[in-house]
Amino acid sequence: MRVRQMKRLLREPLLLATIIGIFVALGLFVIYPVLRVLLYPGLRDFLSFPANDRYVTATLHTFVIVILSTASATTVGFLFAYTFTRTTVPWKGLFRSIAILPLFSPPFMIAFSYILMFGRNGLVTYTLLGARYNIIGWHGLWLSQTIAFFPIAALVMEGVLQSIAPSLEYAARNLGASGWRLFRTVVFPLARPGVAGAALLVAIYVLADFGNPVMIAGHYTVLPTEAWARISGWGDVTGAAVLSSVLLIPAFGLFLAQRYWVGRRQYTTITGKVVLLSLPPTPWYVRWPLFAFCALVSFLILSVFVGLLAGAFSRGWGFDYTPTLKHWQDVLANGRALIHSVVFAAVAATVSSLLAILSSYLVSRKAFPGRGLLDFVAILPAALPGVVFGIGYSLAFNAPPLDLYGTATIIILSMIFWNVPMGYQTGIGRLKQIAPSLGEAASNLGAGSLKTFWDVELPLLKSSLVSAFVVSFIRAVTTLSVIVFLVTNRNVVATFTILNLANDGYRGAAAALTTALLILTCIVLAVSRLLFGRNVELFRI
Amino acid sequence: MSDAPVHIAIRHLTKRFGAVTAVRDVSLQIARGSFTTLLGPSGCGKTTILRTLAGFYEADAGDIFFDERRMNDVPSHHRHAAMVFQDYALFPHMTVFENVAYGLKVGGVRGDALRQRVGRVLADLGLAGLGDRMPGMISGGQQQRVALARALVMEPEILLLDEPLSNLDAKLRVTVRAELRQIQRRVGITTVYVTHDQEEALAISDRIAVMHQGEVVQYGTPWEIYYTPQRVFVADFVGTANLLRGRIHEVEAQRFTLELAGRKIRVESPGKGLRPGEEAVLNIRPEAIEIGSIPPADPGPNVLEGVIRTHTFVGQWVRYWVDVSLGPEAAPHEFVVDVPDPRERGILEGRVFLRLDPRKIHHLQGA
Repeated sequence: MRVRQMKRLLREPLLLATIIGIFVALGLFVIYPVLRVLLYPGLRDFLSFPANDRYVTATLHTFVIVILSTASATTVGFLFAYTFTRTTVPWKGLFRSIAILPLFSPPFMIAFSYILMFGRNGLVTYTLLGARYNIIGWHGLWLSQTIAFFPIAALVMEGVLQSIAPSLEYAARNLGASGWRLFRTVVFPLARPGVAGAALLVAIYVLADFGNPVMIAGHYTVLPTEAWARISGWGDVTGAAVLSSVLLIPAFGLFLAQRYWVGRRQYTTITGKVVLLSLPPTPWYVRWPLFAFCALVSFLILSVFVGLLAGAFSRGWGFDYTPTLKHWQDVLANGRALIHSVVFAAVAATVSSLLAILSSYLVSRKAFPGRGLLDFVAILPAALPGVVFGIGYSLAFNAPPLDLYGTATIIILSMIFWNVPMGYQTGIGRLKQIAPSLGEAASNLGAGSLKTFWDVELPLLKSSLVSAFVVSFIRAVTTLSVIVFLVTNRNVVATFTILNLANDGYRGAAAALTTALLILTCIVLAVSRLLFGRNVELFRI
Repeated sequence: MSDAPVHIAIRHLTKRFGAVTAVRDVSLQIARGSFTTLLGPSGCGKTTILRTLAGFYEADAGDIFFDERRMNDVPSHHRHAAMVFQDYALFPHMTVFENVAYGLKVGGVRGDALRQRVGRVLADLGLAGLGDRMPGMISGGQQQRVALARALVMEPEILLLDEPLSNLDAKLRVTVRAELRQIQRRVGITTVYVTHDQEEALAISDRIAVMHQGEVVQYGTPWEIYYTPQRVFVADFVGTANLLRGRIHEVEAQRFTLELAGRKIRVESPGKGLRPGEEAVLNIRPEAIEIGSIPPADPGPNVLEGVIRTHTFVGQWVRYWVDVSLGPEAAPHEFVVDVPDPRERGILEGRVFLRLDPRKIHHLQGA
């Protein structure tokens, strides 16, 4: 089998070269950095882990917050998804639009804004309510992560709930089930695999989260922030590598469970048939509690943006709310970081989406030795917390022959390969909908593999390519965890500057710079919408 | 036709998918310029053979030859065996013209030559004027022609058709089928056609290879397949079979008899190789059985008495299901009888007499 596949590949040298090139690239920029992290510390460093109180505390904290935030984010996400798909709650379209906003924001933004709103000098807590309340700590982290990650759960479960045909619900009603019984016996059991999948996905994000804890957790250290503290505070690379390696264990376990266990247990099938059965009206005692709940969560999301804007235009947070533009001078002063962010992310997203779509084509349509491996490695970065990725790059590419320390290249490379899974999964999903006979027809008419890809599959994958670009761009421009270990003065990007400004107490400037970053992201989104129409599917998770 | 040289030779082809053997040691020789159909139920391996010819699948064992050239290792895009797909596989992002022109462009044909060749094929297939349409904007029948045009414009030596008519409605299928045959005759292109529709296969082919569970069970002209099927499967799959399972009673030079639950069925054909006492299966087609409500004036051999269980009227003929009791112990044996042009006689009911024409009974081997 293998031998015949190789023989066939040898007849298409260009295809063979492409496949080898992708393998080399993924091996060098995904596998190698991870191995560097795992192999950097010695066995003794790992064995002394339980003796280190700070490590053990961080591990326990991580464990607790993953359970808390996953539970809350999944619950909130399910209620939202249920509201969108199966109820007649008023304004549900508006709630949905608000709910996906956190997906477009830098991961630390929510935590940062909640400090402004609910912190010691918070606009709501101190100025409006006069309370001496401080959100910093585990409860602030819990709230931030819930708001940050419930949209992921909501989108996943929305897809699952949507694919449960309303006719099933009608059938159950026809058989006499209604209300709570209907939900308990029909809707929820059908949605259960989706709920489990959403929970695992959220857990992966919470576990890897760096931006929220570094902003709001205070002394409540988790593994990613402790790893960062080892390096930034003590220059202790070994310690950081040990913590990252330990972090990798649950991350990888969750990833495997999400992909290979839950991923195969979907009861629902997508038929592409549009079911135009209207929903039966939701009873008032369900409708209004759901309305109130969605309104509250929407308020919490919108308060993030209110806090940010207020912060960006107020003279002194907590005591002097006179409008000012002085923070925007700081933005201009940090123009270089902003430009870096946008340029690096644009370059990375272009390369990343093309590479991802090409890989998805090869895996879906071509037979070659190592196809399963390529599939695995292309998805793997999704399992790697940004901290692991960042530390891995800083360890792997700091000496010849690949000494990239402090260069733009290292940042762009990390952004490219960290985001490959986004475009790859989009591409695989889309290719499942494209009949393989199209490619075969082109081959039958004389086109080789790469020509077939270019002429037939790529044009049909255009919308996926654009989605992949947009998602990769947003993730690249907003990432903090990956680049925090790679930036120097020369290649500094905006998220890092924001972190430093916020940590040093320049909250107005941090807010203004975040706002600027958000505006740039919106511009890119708007342009891609204008260029490629509404059918750009975002966040296929 | 049988004198034409072999164009496609399949030798001991085996193809497995995991634990399933889709094609098992198949050998076929396909004559140049012939129209050959691979016929069989779904899962019999017919499409697998076609796709192996096209180069989409690789043989696990055995060889494919086009003329004298071994094709096993030739990638699909170098085989010059144009294929029409079941779902047509028209490129949805290209116009009809671009679809048809695609293969020529890949082959380096440009400019006027390209326009002329595409234009000619489009005109030949009645598609002139549709060149600027997108595939989604034309009817199913037109899409089917575009798919054919895209294959024919390549002027291939071999044309592979994978159930190309299955997405058309019944009437159109018959029309397009006749057109397809005409074009094939005119161009003289060696054609391999895959279908599960036995009527279509009989109507269109020079040769039919009937397939069952990955093997070719009979390879012959439509006439041979219909009138002298060699296996029960073929008799049953192509047309309707009335199978008579019994024991050979007597064998003479030009005739033999079969004993069936105590009755003798006479067959007027050479019983070559048959020995008295051995088990055998006979087949008689529904239209070869005479039926009447009174006993025939000249009783002769092979007259059976039965009761009509039900009937169905389809216009040009009426079909009866008749239960014939062969003995006190045996369960009634069901015969299917077709009577053409039933207008004069009307529909029969109740007790009837069947006469099996001894010249139209066929002995099946390898039951």
